[in-house]
Amino acid sequence: MNVKTKFSLAFFLLCGVLLFGQDAYIIKGTVVSEEDNAPIPGVSVIVQGSQNGVSTDFDGNYQLSVSVGDVLQYSYVGFASKIVPITGQTEANVSLKVDANALEEVVVIGYGTQSRTKITGAVGKVKNEDLDQIAVGTANEALVGQVAGLNIQATEGEAGSNATINIRGVGSIAGDSGPLLVVDGVVLDADFLNTVDVNDIDSVEVLKDAASAAIYGSRASGGVIIITTKQGKEGKTVFSYNTFTGFKEARQSDAYDISVAASHARELANTGELSLRSQYRELLGIDESWQDRIFDGGQIESHSLSARGGSEKTKFNTSLSYVHDEGVLITDDFKKYNFRLKVDTKVNDNFSFGANLAPSYTNRRRFDGSTHDILRQQPWLPIFHDANSIQYVDRNVYPDVQIGDYARERHFDNYDLFGDGSELVDISTTSNQNPAAKVLERDRTDKQFRMYGNFYGKYKIAEGLNFKATLGGDYQSRKQRRYQGVEASRNGASAAQLDLDNFERIHILTEALLTYDKSFGSHNLSALLGASAEKWDREYTAVAVNGFSNDLLQTLGGGTTVIENISYNTEERLLSFFGRVNYSYEDKYLASVSLRADGHSSFGVNNKYGYFPAVSLGWNLAREDFLSESDVISNLKLRASYGFTGNKDLSLGSSLISDNIELYPSLQLYGPNSSVFNNEVVNGLAPINVANPDLQWERSSEANVAVDFGLFQGRISGSIDAYNKTSDQLLLNVPVSTTTGFSEALANRGEVVNKGIEVELRTRNITNENFTWSTTILASTNKNELTDFAGASGLITNVDSKRAAEWITLEGQPISSFYGYVVDRDIPLEFINDPYAVVGGEAQDVYVKDLNGDGLIDDEDKTIIGDPFPDLIWSVANDFQIGDVDFSFTLQGSWGAEVRNIADQYIFNQFSSREDFNTETTPDQQFIKEKIFTDDIISDASYVALRTLSLGYTFDKDLISRVGLSRARVYASGQNLMYITADGYTGWNPESYQSEGALNVGYQRGGSPIARTISLGVNLEF
Amino acid sequence: MLLIVVSTVSCGDDFLEPVPTAVLVGETFPNNAEELESVLVSVYDALQGVNSLELTDASLNHAQQIEFYVTEMLSDNTRSKSGEGEAGQFDNFTVQPTNGFVFDYYRSMYDIITKANLVLDNIDLAGEDAATIEGEARFLRGLAYFNLVRSYGDVPLIDGPILISDSEAQFTRVATSDIYDFIVTDFQNAIGSLDVTSTPNRASKAAAQGMLAKVYLTQGTNYGEAQGLLEDIINSEQYALEADFRDVFFNEANGENIFTVGYVASNSLESQNFSAEMLNGVGRTSGVNYVTDEAIAALDEFGGDRAQYSKRVDAQQPTQTQVVKWIPNGDADLGIAETSSDPTSAGNDWIILRYADVLLMHVEAILAGGAQTTSSNALASFQAIRDRAGLADDPDNPDDDANTVTVITRDDLLIERRVELAFENHRIHDLRRFGVAQDVLTAFSNANGHSFSATDLLLPIPQFEINLSNGLLSQNPGY
Repeated sequence: MNVKTKFSLAFFLLCGVLLFGQDAYIIKGTVVSEEDNAPIPGVSVIVQGSQNGVSTDFDGNYQLSVSVGDVLQYSYVGFASKIVPITGQTEANVSLKVDANALEEVVVIGYGTQSRTKITGAVGKVKNEDLDQIAVGTANEALVGQVAGLNIQATEGEAGSNATINIRGVGSIAGDSGPLLVVDGVVLDADFLNTVDVNDIDSVEVLKDAASAAIYGSRASGGVIIITTKQGKEGKTVFSYNTFTGFKEARQSDAYDISVAASHARELANTGELSLRSQYRELLGIDESWQDRIFDGGQIESHSLSARGGSEKTKFNTSLSYVHDEGVLITDDFKKYNFRLKVDTKVNDNFSFGANLAPSYTNRRRFDGSTHDILRQQPWLPIFHDANSIQYVDRNVYPDVQIGDYARERHFDNYDLFGDGSELVDISTTSNQNPAAKVLERDRTDKQFRMYGNFYGKYKIAEGLNFKATLGGDYQSRKQRRYQGVEASRNGASAAQLDLDNFERIHILTEALLTYDKSFGSHNLSALLGASAEKWDREYTAVAVNGFSNDLLQTLGGGTTVIENISYNTEERLLSFFGRVNYSYEDKYLASVSLRADGHSSFGVNNKYGYFPAVSLGWNLAREDFLSESDVISNLKLRASYGFTGNKDLSLGSSLISDNIELYPSLQLYGPNSSVFNNEVVNGLAPINVANPDLQWERSSEANVAVDFGLFQGRISGSIDAYNKTSDQLLLNVPVSTTTGFSEALANRGEVVNKGIEVELRTRNITNENFTWSTTILASTNKNELTDFAGASGLITNVDSKRAAEWITLEGQPISSFYGYVVDRDIPLEFINDPYAVVGGEAQDVYVKDLNGDGLIDDEDKTIIGDPFPDLIWSVANDFQIGDVDFSFTLQGSWGAEVRNIADQYIFNQFSSREDFNTETTPDQQFIKEKIFTDDIISDASYVALRTLSLGYTFDKDLISRVGLSRARVYASGQNLMYITADGYTGWNPESYQSEGALNVGYQRGGSPIARTISLGVNLEF
Repeated sequence: MLLIVVSTVSCGDDFLEPVPTAVLVGETFPNNAEELESVLVSVYDALQGVNSLELTDASLNHAQQIEFYVTEMLSDNTRSKSGEGEAGQFDNFTVQPTNGFVFDYYRSMYDIITKANLVLDNIDLAGEDAATIEGEARFLRGLAYFNLVRSYGDVPLIDGPILISDSEAQFTRVATSDIYDFIVTDFQNAIGSLDVTSTPNRASKAAAQGMLAKVYLTQGTNYGEAQGLLEDIINSEQYALEADFRDVFFNEANGENIFTVGYVASNSLESQNFSAEMLNGVGRTSGVNYVTDEAIAALDEFGGDRAQYSKRVDAQQPTQTQVVKWIPNGDADLGIAETSSDPTSAGNDWIILRYADVLLMHVEAILAGGAQTTSSNALASFQAIRDRAGLADDPDNPDDDANTVTVITRDDLLIERRVELAFENHRIHDLRRFGVAQDVLTAFSNANGHSFSATDLLLPIPQFEINLSNGLLSQNPGY
């Protein structure tokens, strides 16, 4: 007995009476392995329904304060857990049986749960203990790097923004490839994920293969993320309080740190003198760091308070939380408030019911600008005019500019450099308003109230036969407001505008489930039969006014002219029938068959219903005689599955027209338009789509084969999954001849294949009383290939006709590939019109390769110059427990993706004609192309990030119990403290890209930077 | 039991067939004359085009709003300020089949045609309004085909509703002469069906007469009929030259405009943005449709009062010259009031046909392809245009006859059309019609370092259509 234990004993003797009541006494014992009688260190021994528990020491010994009537539970990974009721005994020696499967973990699957042993599909699971110890504001961030094959990319990067989530690659072009989100049985929009309070999550399951997801039918092609929130627990009410405060800063780009001083030094070194413009800039004497200005950093703060408890009959869990994230961009700000109440009660042995209600409110101020636009501003430009800068204003053109006004580049043109009228120098490169004004003078907020909940009743009809009826749903109200002030634009008050958008959605779900679980000898049967009906009613209104003469009244009444006035409703309905049978024989041979039929209002009379069957098989080899005695192999399971899933979600945009085409594409629709006769607006109606009564779901069929293994009594465990997923009948807006009056028509055409391998490896490297070290390694690869593009293979698209860098969609290649010329060499500086006209300026153009060697550069010399999809995504997490100190870190990375960072061109040469080549002197001009059409701005988007680093200390229970606490942990944690990008990547976030649809992935115009966060947090329980 | 629970929500057989409320469904619409009239409005809407943030977008037809790119900027009248991108291709005669404006204009015209066809296909619903509705639809369809055939040559002829699968109709290029026959029929029908209208924003008899006359002049075979049609308009005395040239553009209720495309200011759906694009960095471009040195010279020499209301020096970049005719945000020096608080949501109407054009076409019809005319009818029409431009003789000085026209040559007429109708999208068609495009544009091209060749006179068939046609659709020569 060590000193600490003695102290604890003494402490219990002193205080136990007060804390644990009259009957508390100390029980002790030893835990050994049944197999070889060897003591097992680190076994968790807890009083069921309480937080009272200890771990066995190195010799398998433990002692613990208990009362008669308590039930002790002994559990340890790799062993079947055991229960011992306390009847007054003072010693309890326990032997644990090795669980051949090592994982008697219960996994949530669609409409039910299953033990890990019996799982035959590809289902990833993250338990809460891996999540709420991380100091992040949203579930998106918490899940990065936690499940192999789940790719979460912070493509936006603003505080409170949604991440782009993909499971096993992109399988849709016009549709949404994101996963289905199911929270406590209610299907929600994927963007609900960032409103869920991480502290409320009990577990997150990811249904990756089609066989697992097929029970969700027409919505499951992108996989399914199931979130289960914490339930009440029988016993003493436990309060938890989790909080952290963090400081965020942006990861800046050195390449974009362009200063007047450095640029002039370079000019002097190269030419020996400063050009007139440079002399003028020297005179101005301003050298602004625009990165510092817009990446102002911020604070993040989170508080979460919960209470869990209940009696044998009624259990509850309730929580309140608040997150405030200031983000790293200027003006972005995110506040989130959550409440939750979950109650389950057992009326009698046969009937129970429960309710679950979770409202949330978020208030987000956006960064209403784009980083590339701000960074392209020259560092010599001040934000506001002061006594110095005002002297340089071109008074002929701008007579009214005063000190304190926003400075614009054009203000500084026509400067009489020598005071004698001999040289009027222009230094502007843009007519734009001051970049700070473009952000600060706009106020854009998104306020969302959301609530989801359900109410269920469960009735036991007979032993093993249960009926459950659920009424659930969610409500979402989103109010978006955007005011662009009179100073926000170069066009002044004429561009001032107020936009108000309201969106309201109510989703109602009724569901009935009949389940049957029965064992017949070695045969185990679990069956499910269900039906559900869902409807979504959406209402949208938008009003915009302009004609503001000042910013005093930023209301509809403050403007003079209504320029937009829209309202409409839509309805969507889904009727489903589904069933599943899981069968196992001696837990060795496993089989599962399921079928779902979905009828949806969107689809044509000819294809109202879609059918989604799945089958999966498993074989627990470790339970066979020839392996059951093995010392090495403790678990070995082979799994194979095949199934069909669908996708019905089109994302055509958000307007009356596109929303209606999305929901009623099979009908011939006439939408409103208008024309003007004699200055009067007259309304008209015209066809808005090409009706297609045959339209149906996108369909994915997927085969998954896998092996799960556990070695050395589970010290090493893991799984390897390989899949091949074919998505066809894609909902494509197929181009049609415009002589039909349309340029595209919806049809089920095309095919995409995603193939990949996912590996999970978990090791318990060291397991001692005072030192444990475990490692989790996840890796996944995915190869995306377009195999049929309905005759449109080779389609070349761009996202900006003015700066038309191109993508190609070519069969045999990924859905999106960057397309363009290959750089041969730079144009020497001597041929640039005026290389130092722009601070930090670089040539606009570059020599490209004549790929086909025909002596000229034309379309034939364009080729695929990269794609935005990573070859490998991986993470390595290490957890250490050293006495009361815990330490963990997760490295996460992505390898092999490319990004087209057009910010390079904005920032380095401003699209200024002065950075063009001289057409008189430059040789070989026929081989010159603008850099944006070449691989010059394509860079490797690979990265390695130290996603989290966390160091915690858990106070001794005995000590803190004196202040009434049952658990207290303090920690410091960091996010992205290290973030390494590939050579040649110049921006601040290789994960960021604009959302431009499946054909134009990977377009980065600066984007938002990676945030580095350092946080201090406390976890308390009492 | 399952069904009971579910049916509480899904009551009724039509659970899976909700009826849209914000749009109408083809099964029940259009169903009467009033509803057909609303489809007719959409034909005008198609001509009006979309004022969108995106300059080119395959799903948005900008129609009239981008016409100046494929006409005026392709001629020697205007160019883009920066010479960059797709707009720059028109400046220097390097238009590519992938050019977004070429595609936008093409599909915009077929959008008008499709909607007009829909009206005509349902004309039996129109009852007593049938003649007017048919006449308007045919006028707009004829106009669209006239634009197509002049810009692209042989084009597919769609004369009624077609299926998506009907690739033969979509990709078969019909000979120009057949397209012209079709246009003539449409305009003749419109002349027979239409009468006077209260607004030039709607098709009228005179509009159809004027357009048909222009078709005849373009064909160069029916000068007599053209003259007759134009004299009908002149003799109807419904239209007259506006006394002040400026008011033609900035007082939309004037008596000179015969057919115009209506826009109103500050309305996201009904405003236009071409006005803003022609300013310096106010629209989505840095400035397009800037005036060429050649057009400046012509206006200065021959324009009279018209010069100042046609072009002005760009105050922000004094080396550049802008178009005045459509400015949205006023010009105090010229006495032009602001018409819209937001220039990108401008209300200036676009003029397709005005009386001055009728008078000059009248001269052209009398010239009948000849080198010159001294016809008194022609001289009267011509003189009226010049007088209004402040090029009249001094009425108090009987000896002043310097401005009295006694003979009109083809060159005189072409110059007069250039300065009178500058920046109204006529120039390229005039050069083609007068048969001088090759010479004029070659000279222009040489002077400006461009490379014009004869095949640049026709726009390319959009690559988008060529790609879809599986070889059915041929490209114009030179592309």
